[in-house]
Amino acid sequence: MNGQIHFTLNGEKVTSDRHANERLLDVLREDFKLTGVKCGCKEGECGACSVLLNGVLANSCMVAMGSIEGSEVVTIEGYSKTKRFQALSDAYAQTSAVQCGFCIPGMVLACEALLAKNPNPTDAEIRKGISGNLCRCTGYNAIVEAVKIAAREGKGLW
Amino acid sequence: MVTFSNGYLVDNLADALKIRSEIDVTPYAGGTDLMVDAKEDAVYLFLNKIPELRRIYSDEQYLHIGAACTYTEIFENSLSPQILKDAIDYLAAPAIRNMGTAGGNICNASPKADTALIFYVADAKLRICNTSGERILPIEDFYVGRGKTVLQKDELLVEILVPKQGLEHYYYKKVGARQALAISRVAFAGIFTTENGIITRCAMAFGSVADTVLRFRDLEALFVGKSIAEAKSIRSQFIANYEQAIVPIRGRVSAEYRKSVCMNLLEDFLTQNGI
Amino acid sequence: MESISKSIPKRDHFPKISGSAKYVDDLSFEGMLHGKIVRSTVACADIKEILIPDLPEGYFVIDKNDIPGINSVHIVDDDTPVFSDGTVNYVGEPILMVAGKDLKVVNRLMKLIKVVYDEKEPVLDMMKSETIFYQYGYTKGDWETAFREADKIIEEDFQTGYQEHTYMEVQGMIGFYENGKSIVRGSMQCPYYVHTAVKRAMGLESDKVQVIQEEMGGAFGGKEDYPSILGCQVAVAAYKTGKPVKVVFDRSEDIICSPKRHPAKMHYRAAIKNGKITGIDADIVYNCGAYTTLSPVVLQRGLICATGVYNFKNLRVRGKGVKTNTVPNGAFRGFGGPQTFFAIEMFMDHLAKEIGMDSLSLKESMVVKQGDDSATSGKYHFHIPFPEMIEKLDQMSDFRKKREAFRNQTGRYRSGIGLSLVYHGCGFTGSGERDLIKGVVKIVKNTDDTVELLTAGTDMGQGLKTAFAKIASDTLEIPLERIIVQNPDTDRVPNSGPTAASRSLMVVGKLLQRAAEKLKRDWKPGEYQEFVEKYVHPDFMIPWDLSKFQGDPYPDYSWSANAVEVKVDTLTATTEIVGAWGVYDVGTPIDMAIIKGQMQGGFLQAIGYGSMELLDVNDKGVIRNNSFSDYIIPTSMDVPHLETEVVENTYDNGPFGGKGAGELPAVGGAPAYVEAMENALGVNLHHTPFSQEDTMKVLEAFKK
Repeated sequence: MNGQIHFTLNGEKVTSDRHANERLLDVLREDFKLTGVKCGCKEGECGACSVLLNGVLANSCMVAMGSIEGSEVVTIEGYSKTKRFQALSDAYAQTSAVQCGFCIPGMVLACEALLAKNPNPTDAEIRKGISGNLCRCTGYNAIVEAVKIAAREGKGLW
Repeated sequence: MVTFSNGYLVDNLADALKIRSEIDVTPYAGGTDLMVDAKEDAVYLFLNKIPELRRIYSDEQYLHIGAACTYTEIFENSLSPQILKDAIDYLAAPAIRNMGTAGGNICNASPKADTALIFYVADAKLRICNTSGERILPIEDFYVGRGKTVLQKDELLVEILVPKQGLEHYYYKKVGARQALAISRVAFAGIFTTENGIITRCAMAFGSVADTVLRFRDLEALFVGKSIAEAKSIRSQFIANYEQAIVPIRGRVSAEYRKSVCMNLLEDFLTQNGI
Repeated sequence: MESISKSIPKRDHFPKISGSAKYVDDLSFEGMLHGKIVRSTVACADIKEILIPDLPEGYFVIDKNDIPGINSVHIVDDDTPVFSDGTVNYVGEPILMVAGKDLKVVNRLMKLIKVVYDEKEPVLDMMKSETIFYQYGYTKGDWETAFREADKIIEEDFQTGYQEHTYMEVQGMIGFYENGKSIVRGSMQCPYYVHTAVKRAMGLESDKVQVIQEEMGGAFGGKEDYPSILGCQVAVAAYKTGKPVKVVFDRSEDIICSPKRHPAKMHYRAAIKNGKITGIDADIVYNCGAYTTLSPVVLQRGLICATGVYNFKNLRVRGKGVKTNTVPNGAFRGFGGPQTFFAIEMFMDHLAKEIGMDSLSLKESMVVKQGDDSATSGKYHFHIPFPEMIEKLDQMSDFRKKREAFRNQTGRYRSGIGLSLVYHGCGFTGSGERDLIKGVVKIVKNTDDTVELLTAGTDMGQGLKTAFAKIASDTLEIPLERIIVQNPDTDRVPNSGPTAASRSLMVVGKLLQRAAEKLKRDWKPGEYQEFVEKYVHPDFMIPWDLSKFQGDPYPDYSWSANAVEVKVDTLTATTEIVGAWGVYDVGTPIDMAIIKGQMQGGFLQAIGYGSMELLDVNDKGVIRNNSFSDYIIPTSMDVPHLETEVVENTYDNGPFGGKGAGELPAVGGAPAYVEAMENALGVNLHHTPFSQEDTMKVLEAFKK
């Protein structure tokens, strides 16, 4: 029996010995120590555990390990090394969009997924893009504003 | 095929059906329902890499939607009917739409399944396969109750067959507790077609109301073959029939609330069609 | 705008956004065990027996018999047990902990433990409770005459529901026991509360207990008292096992057993004479749940706020906090204020209709001004900027015009707009700052001329580290980079008090400013220096007397005016929130972006409280909707147009003119929302949350 699961994690080829039915979230946090991936609910409802899976936004609590064989996973730890992250981070800093910060790594990846598809989103499109990422602190305004700033000041990045 | 502990990953339908015929596995398409209540001893058959389950194509009569197509893929496909896109647009949120699948939505057999409602009203059929062949059945015949379907242990849902004609004139309304990430409290879909002033179809489906999506073909038939004026004259009888037929169950909202919304939307659907 | 108000990047911005910040669940220690707590599944019972399976090597059960000190968590009173003492009083009450290396094994063991109960009839309805935990009351003027001579007396009942904090990071703590010392670290608002509680449960002296706050993923009051309970539990577990023990809840456990906003039932009467309100009489009940926790103080604040922002000459307010067999309720942003403010704001709206005035005109005609007596016979010592706030709100929302236009609508969609005027008293209620907290801060200047601010103040996301650093930097006139602010560790920081009650900036910030001023005067380059500053009670305050419930409960107040506009779909009874506007006076904003973030986030929570946040407790005392898919909080799409503005009204006793801010926006959202629903539906409404089902009931009643 070949138990190992192979995937690319933040640009590096990795393997996991975990059961195929285990949550990607737990593997990222426990085995790879990628604790920027947060757990808020384990039912796909809050988005704190968001990652990019083959380039699209996914809740890592809702992903079983067996399904990611051969896939590409990007967490905030990998994404934070990019220019796009820098643009988003600068914009978030301008609007003080980071309060408790627990939703933020997932939120930033939701913003990335949005901007990758739509580099000049309207307010409504931004709100829709982050609608699966609950934030209890900000009321979302500062985050929406930050996405607009990032889209403007990071022109050409997306 | 790759064998993991607690899971099988296959890249073609034949292998998938072979595993289904030999081993007790839980088919895993998008995972967005299964993983909510992830079982420690679950053995999954991963379907997300099977090309036959991920195609969307059309023939003369039907749009074929592979059971493992994600909501996002269906939404972004130009072949998909607008009524289905509307339902997906109000379904959960982007990350769930990226992973969740139409086939999973159907097989999970929740009466709250947003796309199943559309398949009901659209007269969709399901293509179900096992190693010895296939069967095609109307979606209504697939369900036997909440969480229960006729899918056998050796079978897989392969495609959803959505009729290509007659879905243009529709009505769709989902009622949730909030604007996104909302589980339906009531969902209503209607399709209305006329030819030369005669009603050819007046289909209505009610989601999140009872143990399965509700549709009453016998009641719908009352309007078929009638002119708008004739239908109008029996509108109150038509509504009364539904008043009697719809018996909601209590869930996170009361049965009374569900009933009121169903009847209000039904009446609005008729009114908007001139009845 | 004052120069200090100019926004800067928050101190914790980068670690949090890049995912490198460590929250309690991100920490792991050598030999660490994972604990899970077996909780009561019934609301009221004696425990007859607990059946525990054979435990594998290295797995432990920790219960009341393992507590070296007293089986009691000190909060305000001491009735909360660390682990059940043989009875259980609510569903979710902790009975024992299972701890071991592998969480999966712990979870399996949990399922094998059987608790045998001798069940008793629980009290779930607060109105049927015979146990009154706390009771207070006060009067002003001659309320009896006002009611005796009234032309008309109007009576109404109001009700507010639970609210769950739903901080994104659940409760979590890690306990250690090393060399006779208990160390507890985790997510908490008030390290010294935990310190006091752990000392007592462990039977240790102060210097043998150390409490460290880790990065905190939101709190909103929900981590004010609860960490004292969990802190004691992990401390005892570490003591028994000799290993670090981590307990981090899952979401459903957190919803089941962590404190909530107190549900309230409020009976109001108004005396009307010659078209004027001459007296108010309020009778208030707060559901405390099974143990007292912070209820006395929550109830006090609720009663202080009972007559709102209006100058009633004659009034009586009475209230009690009662026991029920439900989860103990505690602190939640607003701390007792949102309940009574909801009632008085709705009542004023209804009274306006009785008198034949529009609600805003009535409110404006009665709103308090500087120099007026307060309800508790204290004084409003400072300027109250309601006139300018209301004008600003009207400009932003077009309130007056819309309110008029939305009368008597027909058709599928009905619009409505509502408005509320509220305050939040800054700081600990009554004489708490002077008699109980006695805050102390310390500033240390290192030999490299960096300056460290030592307080017990915690940053739960509200930006305290940034605000404190700005206060010190501006006072000392040194660059921000040279100011050090770390998460508090009780071995290093003095007790500046809890991070609660909108007191941190105004009270602790002021102490820091004073200490910084001293350091500046005495600055010795290259030398180590330290300055300690202690709380001084403002001398202008009329002394608070709890037994009479009279005096100044707060030195000053933050004020807000809120408007919410809705559009109701009469077919589905769903409501779209078209707009939400808030105007706030929080003194000088120490950082404008931080303040706006506080106002916007708090306002959205408050709208949730008024509309969708419904916690459903069944007839067995079980919270049914204990998940994120069932306990509904607003998403980014629910209130897309939410605007906030501040008016600047400097408070001289606060640092750079700042005063309390954090809780204020949580107070006025619910009444503004429900008043908007009244405007849309054309009826008087009396409770929150006002749900889709409630709307449907009103619409169906019209049909009949």
